[in-house]
Amino acid sequence: MKDSDVIMLEEPKLSLPDQFYLPQVLIGLGTTMKHMFNVVIRGKDRVLQYPEEKREDLPVEKGGMLLKTYRGVHRLNKDEEGRVKCVACFMCSTACPAHCIHIEAEESPWPDREKYPAKFDIDELRCIYCGMCEEACPVDAIELTHFYDIVGLTRQEMIFDKSKLLQVFDETVKAEPM
Amino acid sequence: MIDWISSHIPPWLFILLVAHFAILGTVAYLILLERKVASWVQDRLGPNRVGLGFGIIPVVKNWKCWGLGQPLADGLKFIVKEDYRPKNVDRILFSVAPGFMIMKIIISIAVLPWGGTMESKRTITIPASTPDITEYAQHQITMGSTLIGSPVLVAGSADQYQITYRYAFQIATLNIGVLYILAVLSLAVYGVVIGGWASNNKYSFLGGLRATANMISYEIPLGLAVLCIVLMYGTLDLNTIVVRQCHNWGHYIPAWNVFSQPLAFVMFLVCIHAEANRAPFDLAEAEQELVGGYHTEYSAMRFALFFLSEYAGMITTSAVCVALFFGGWDFPGLRGPAGNPGLSDSLILCIIRAVVFFTKTIGIIFVFMWVRWSLPRFRFDQLMMLAWRGLIPISLLLLAMTAVVVYLSHGQIYDGLNSLTALTLFGANLAATLLILIISRLIPPAPATNRKLQVVGSRFATTPLPAGLN
Repeated sequence: MKDSDVIMLEEPKLSLPDQFYLPQVLIGLGTTMKHMFNVVIRGKDRVLQYPEEKREDLPVEKGGMLLKTYRGVHRLNKDEEGRVKCVACFMCSTACPAHCIHIEAEESPWPDREKYPAKFDIDELRCIYCGMCEEACPVDAIELTHFYDIVGLTRQEMIFDKSKLLQVFDETVKAEPM
Repeated sequence: MIDWISSHIPPWLFILLVAHFAILGTVAYLILLERKVASWVQDRLGPNRVGLGFGIIPVVKNWKCWGLGQPLADGLKFIVKEDYRPKNVDRILFSVAPGFMIMKIIISIAVLPWGGTMESKRTITIPASTPDITEYAQHQITMGSTLIGSPVLVAGSADQYQITYRYAFQIATLNIGVLYILAVLSLAVYGVVIGGWASNNKYSFLGGLRATANMISYEIPLGLAVLCIVLMYGTLDLNTIVVRQCHNWGHYIPAWNVFSQPLAFVMFLVCIHAEANRAPFDLAEAEQELVGGYHTEYSAMRFALFFLSEYAGMITTSAVCVALFFGGWDFPGLRGPAGNPGLSDSLILCIIRAVVFFTKTIGIIFVFMWVRWSLPRFRFDQLMMLAWRGLIPISLLLLAMTAVVVYLSHGQIYDGLNSLTALTLFGANLAATLLILIISRLIPPAPATNRKLQVVGSRFATTPLPAGLN
């Protein structure tokens, strides 16, 4: 590094109360006391009591969350006859940047398509919820729902198989039609 | 039964048990208060989920009780956690250090004056053949109590005598109470430095060293600030110091030392912050640089003991602060007879005094927490400069001024300050503050050593780099 590259900064000059330190300390204590007063007496905290209050219940202008555009856990859509819509084309698992979709294709039992997924596992712990699978799908079979509070006690529980993904569809189809 | 207890078990034993468990129980809740204060300052609410039902006990299961169950749950967690000891630590010292820390806190509560002097009466039977009834009565009262006057014969009986005795409402009646507290609190540095050294970890060791330097430096202005008060009253007994503050100046201002010695109070407050190793003086456990400081390697209950002793130490130092500067248990309406305001013949009054004393202590502890969440940490050289260039000269000046006032009052001051002397002392404090402000403008600034280190190779180096390294 050349000397000309070095930017020498001068320390800012301290004002008189700064130099005596204690006046500025008292001002700082006043600031924190103001915050304590606001929270304890006037109840103006900035806390959302999570399970009881949720961000999606608030208007967006007040720090709320727009659930419509939220990308949560996946679902596998069903067609009108209740069959899985997926045709096992592997587009989603190819597009997936996190490699979390595992499909095993088999010959379709139905005449209108060649293949269907015998197995369809999504590792929800690896997934980064980017929505690329949804965009890649040619038949709109895989979609991201608005559910975000999924929990499990083991890692195995968080690998969602076909039946579970179809179950997510059943649960969310009313709130979010295809 | 009650007769047997009052004649065989000394009262300080009860006070000891109550004070001990009250303080250790309060410590757990101080941690909750600390977290609450932290969140209030940051516009949050703090822990408010764990109620006293813990989600298990049937009826109160879902009561949240503002998070009052949190300390209990934390304590349980500390007990059942794995007590991990790293491989190459000094096995004995590693275990001794936390025990040492908690021990000095427990013994330091011995001399806190909880409620003045209690006067009690009891009827005893003295056989008619006793030659010296006063001496006989001396043996009938328990350890720590003193007999007042001689036994009085109860009207209409032959051998029933009424005796009057007094005992101080504190654990140990020690006439060197202040000295004892200072001595015991300065032992804390051993726990810290032993813990840091035994951990066999450079961060712990650095934390221990910093704590040592910090505590030893701040011990001096702390002692000098206390000395100002001791000089005024001519006694080291905390109870006496409290009792002598139990009157009013004019008609309304209580004769608390915080009004006559405000500068000494400020210095004392700063020093007990440093003694307790708390922000802004918490360099010993600076998380950002030293991981956790001297208790980095500790876990489970051993860590909890360090944690406990920090908060219990706050209680002791705050209690001493209250006793020295805020009149201890003194509160309008709680004073005894005019000649001896510490005297009380009712146990209830003594307990109320203890509660008042404890409430004031909690108030000072709140200041501790308030300061912690307001001020950033000092740099180490700033810390040392504040003690050696700031607090020690100021406290010496103040001590000299107090000494002059005490000398001019010809010793009358020992029985409690009258309003004129108090005003003089207040004036002396103000004058000292002004003098400091003027002088501090005149002395040259400290060398900026820490900012421009002349390490070879740095851009502040005066010596060039060795050839080949350029």
